[in-house]
Amino acid sequence: MISARRFVTALTAVTCLLCSALGVRAQSRVSIGVTETIETHNPYGDSVSLQYGIYSEVTGPFCTYSYNKADFEGRLAERWKVENPTTWIFYLSKNYKFNDGTTVTAEDVVHSLMNRVIGDPQSKQKASVAPSVVKAEALDKFTVKVTTDKPTAPLLSFLCDRLIVTSKAAFDKYGRDAADREHMMGGGPYQLKELIPGQRLVLQKRPDHPDAKKHPNAPDEVIYRIMREPEQRVTAFLNDEIQIAQFIPPHMRQRIEKNAKLRIAPIDSVEIMFLAMQPKPPFDKKEVRQAVCHAINRDQIIATLLESFASRLDGPIGPGQYGYDPNLKPKMNYDPEQSKKLLAQAGYANGVDVELQTPVGRYTLDKQLTEAMVPMLNAAGFRARLLTPEWATLWANVQKGTVPFYYMGRGSVQDPSAALHQYFHTGETPRIGYSNPKLDELLDKEQQEFDPNKRRQYLSQAMSILTDDAPACFLWRHKLLWGLNSRIDYKPLPDARIYAIDMAVKR
Amino acid sequence: MVSYLVHRLAGTLPVLLLISFLVFSLIHAAPGDPTLLLLGEETNAADIARAKERWGLDQPLYVQYLKFVRAAAAGDFGKSFKYAEPVINVIKTRLPATIELAVFAIIIASLLAIPLGVWAGAKPNSWIDNLGTTFGLFGISMPSFWLAIMLILLLAGVLNVLPTSGRSTYGVAGPEQTGFYLFDSIMQKNWAAVWDGLTHIFLPALALGMNMLGILMRVTRSSILEVMNEDYVQTARAKGLQEKNVVWRHVTSNALIPVITVVGLELGTLLSGSIIVETVFAWPGSGSLLITALNARDYPLVTGIVMTYTLAFVAINLIIDGLYAVVDPRIRY
Amino acid sequence: MVFMQSLTLESATEKSVVEPRLLPRLHVKAFTGGVIVLLFIIIGIIGPSIAPFDPNKQELTAMMKAPAGIGAAHSLGTDNLGRDILSRVIYGSRVSLLVAFAVVFVSGFIGIALGAISGFFGGKVDFVIQKLVEVVWAFPPLLLGITIMAFLGQGLFNLILALVAQRWIPYCRVVRGQTLSLRNRDFVTAAQCLGASNRQIITRHIIPNLIQTSLVIGTFAMASSIIAEASLSFLGVGVPPEIPTWGTMLADARIYISTAWWLPLFPGLCIFVTVLGINLLGDALRDILDPRLKRSGAKI
Repeated sequence: MISARRFVTALTAVTCLLCSALGVRAQSRVSIGVTETIETHNPYGDSVSLQYGIYSEVTGPFCTYSYNKADFEGRLAERWKVENPTTWIFYLSKNYKFNDGTTVTAEDVVHSLMNRVIGDPQSKQKASVAPSVVKAEALDKFTVKVTTDKPTAPLLSFLCDRLIVTSKAAFDKYGRDAADREHMMGGGPYQLKELIPGQRLVLQKRPDHPDAKKHPNAPDEVIYRIMREPEQRVTAFLNDEIQIAQFIPPHMRQRIEKNAKLRIAPIDSVEIMFLAMQPKPPFDKKEVRQAVCHAINRDQIIATLLESFASRLDGPIGPGQYGYDPNLKPKMNYDPEQSKKLLAQAGYANGVDVELQTPVGRYTLDKQLTEAMVPMLNAAGFRARLLTPEWATLWANVQKGTVPFYYMGRGSVQDPSAALHQYFHTGETPRIGYSNPKLDELLDKEQQEFDPNKRRQYLSQAMSILTDDAPACFLWRHKLLWGLNSRIDYKPLPDARIYAIDMAVKR
Repeated sequence: MVSYLVHRLAGTLPVLLLISFLVFSLIHAAPGDPTLLLLGEETNAADIARAKERWGLDQPLYVQYLKFVRAAAAGDFGKSFKYAEPVINVIKTRLPATIELAVFAIIIASLLAIPLGVWAGAKPNSWIDNLGTTFGLFGISMPSFWLAIMLILLLAGVLNVLPTSGRSTYGVAGPEQTGFYLFDSIMQKNWAAVWDGLTHIFLPALALGMNMLGILMRVTRSSILEVMNEDYVQTARAKGLQEKNVVWRHVTSNALIPVITVVGLELGTLLSGSIIVETVFAWPGSGSLLITALNARDYPLVTGIVMTYTLAFVAINLIIDGLYAVVDPRIRY
Repeated sequence: MVFMQSLTLESATEKSVVEPRLLPRLHVKAFTGGVIVLLFIIIGIIGPSIAPFDPNKQELTAMMKAPAGIGAAHSLGTDNLGRDILSRVIYGSRVSLLVAFAVVFVSGFIGIALGAISGFFGGKVDFVIQKLVEVVWAFPPLLLGITIMAFLGQGLFNLILALVAQRWIPYCRVVRGQTLSLRNRDFVTAAQCLGASNRQIITRHIIPNLIQTSLVIGTFAMASSIIAEASLSFLGVGVPPEIPTWGTMLADARIYISTAWWLPLFPGLCIFVTVLGINLLGDALRDILDPRLKRSGAKI
């Protein structure tokens, strides 16, 4: 009995043979199994890495962060300069054209930034793309002036790979919904061919695009298929239904490694995992917080549960992230005896009850990892309990500031400024409720400091204070496992962004 | 009979209203804030306030509820927070998958259970009867999600003859017309897609239908047993008819009445049972949509889906009662 | 709930007299079912003393060990945190049975009380209670449980509450029907003539006649409660992780289906066998009590 799968494969093979015989180059197609979903036709309607990545590729990107160079590179915005601390000038490339042939101009950038990202009520991207932007204007056809309300040194980390530049003309002519659904146009090397929210998204390469010409081996068609369940993703990957599988759990990699046609690529993610503690009893005492940090045997957890697919964090960030200092002090090593001493100093020689809360299924092995932490805390003198509320409840309570002790991750930390402000600056969010004037001063300074050396210094000092005062115990960054078919030459990026143009498909 | 149905219909309206109120209060009472869940991680207070205003969440609860009822009466369930589309449209894209699954579950359950039940009932205490009873018992005792996992493990994992999840293989299907994948494929004469769809729907339908299989088996068997002892059956036998004919012509059609009732009643349970099966098999139906909506506290979407299920349940009950009244002239109200 | 329909339809259609040749089957059913249920109850009670390990004791260096066979240290293997599966399964039985018994008793109490009141007094009281029944019944069962758990938060007590929320209804319906027919019987009239109060009539005369039916419903309800508790735990809205339950073990096992088959197999098998045993027992009970059920004319 021939299964449909085999039938279709056979048919495709025959077609390919015929095509090559006739001298017609078959379209190369790459299917990618992803875990995040695209739920809406509105490119500004969601704020997840995958969406930013895909639409950035369709519309540009505006500029991009190169992990190789550890710096930002121009794309649609070829270069830029900081005129004064609150004014940035972006110079656009003249070669980016929309699908209908019209050139991408400064007007489109201004429209996208002001009307779509900031002004559109349905936009969910304002805080992640343009938090401090107050005005954008077109100085001429290819020059954009962006004004911020206060000096924002890390502005590029918000705009690059995130600002999606769509056509003002299409918006004006067809109205927002029709423009998004039927006339979605961008200046990037790929165009949107099909989008079924919650199921799949198909991109097609634009052969005339300068970037496409530079990368002739990039796939002609890219299909993003949403496959949340790991078992489903791995099976589809093994069956060649998808050629790239995002985020494979470590314990499933043996099945893939046994297959000669497939390989695993582990990449350090830029998501930092930590234990947050609110400065209320018992965590109002620094000694207790430090005791928690010393109690967790991170190396053992990484070696056993994560099968070494994580790198320990000694401080808020690790190698590859902006401002990383390998000599950051102090180091919160595993030392349960020290924990007990600290607890005694704080007046808890007979132990103290704590409740750790964790989401389930949101981060890699979140429940298992925190379950493993409970006996470690108990061995260090705590009496710990684990709670696993569902995500909606937990997140609401964290935002309200009513969760005293929780396990959490913060993604997209390529430049730590936004994350550190969010969690540790007085008054920014109630998630932890930590307040340290010295830290605030340093964080304010770094945000407005344009000299990279001075900025790094401020960041280093800030992170040193943070690690010592320990409102959070910084645990690890996961190494995310990507499954790649050997036909595809691709180095996945530390954030969940996928740029198909960087792939090379072997024929 | 018509007046009876109208009377029943009128009686369901207040029930629907009460249900909508119950759903509304429960989902709003559950902790969790949709603005926090659906806006990005870096959102600020101003964005949250704007979203609350746009979604009408800044109004007092009773105002929100009244607005909802007024709109719902006109057939408008509002706009989903997550998908920014009318709730009705979102449900329409996912409901066919669930209906297809439920229909197949019933088909599989009936095809296996009814013949077995008839046979078992016709020959009480035979080995067939024992087999059937055991089967029926197994069916009602099996937790559907465990069965789903075991089926995946065995048939998709170890034996690798069926896919583990999803509804179709990408690239096989033609354009979507009704949303009923198999129906569309048959209409388009796309046989590869039909086969592909069947291999994908088989395991989830089996997992979902197992409970019903057990129940149908048992009900069919008892029903047959009862009818077999009726006078007219004895008469048929006395007339000299072959046992086979007796069973199939006289017994089965009469015995099937309670069976049909059970099928109808079980449709409602199937719809809700599909929630777990869809989750395990990553089946893109309204059950998994409900879980997604609940996790995102997408109030309009949750309310919309629950009301849809309830309406279906109530409608089915009404039809069954109506059929009952038609088929059995002894029943009058 | 599902079983309630089949219960009365089946029993209403089977013969009213328990014929002698059916008795051997009855004994086999009752015997097997009883043995299974008794076994699990005993395991549940003496569990802590026979479990070889602490169910929450983690051994990070001994994770995911395959079953070693009877007699070995980890006869059913270890899970993803190195915990012994046999011990967890034993402790899990305690939770499942505890929840099942509690749910059945509480929902039974509420359902019988409301059903008797509804059927006995009729009129407005009946109308209100029946409307309540219709509204709550129309809810997709799992959904009500999930929403209530989201509202109340994790916990054993909350779980029982969430399960009781809908499960009192089958008792209510059947009892109401039976009360309706019993209400007009002579002994009730006699009691009323003798001056018995309504409360006395309900509690002393009517309810004792309903106990046996309720027993049968209760038995099947236990089975469905176990499955419902496992479903809610499976979806992650059950008890906190320090309490091992069969449903939570199955949920944890979902990403290990292809790599550690023993993780989903054993807890699920336990659920299946326990429920099977209870259903066998319920069948046997129903066969014995059949004449009463048929005569009750209860309509669900």
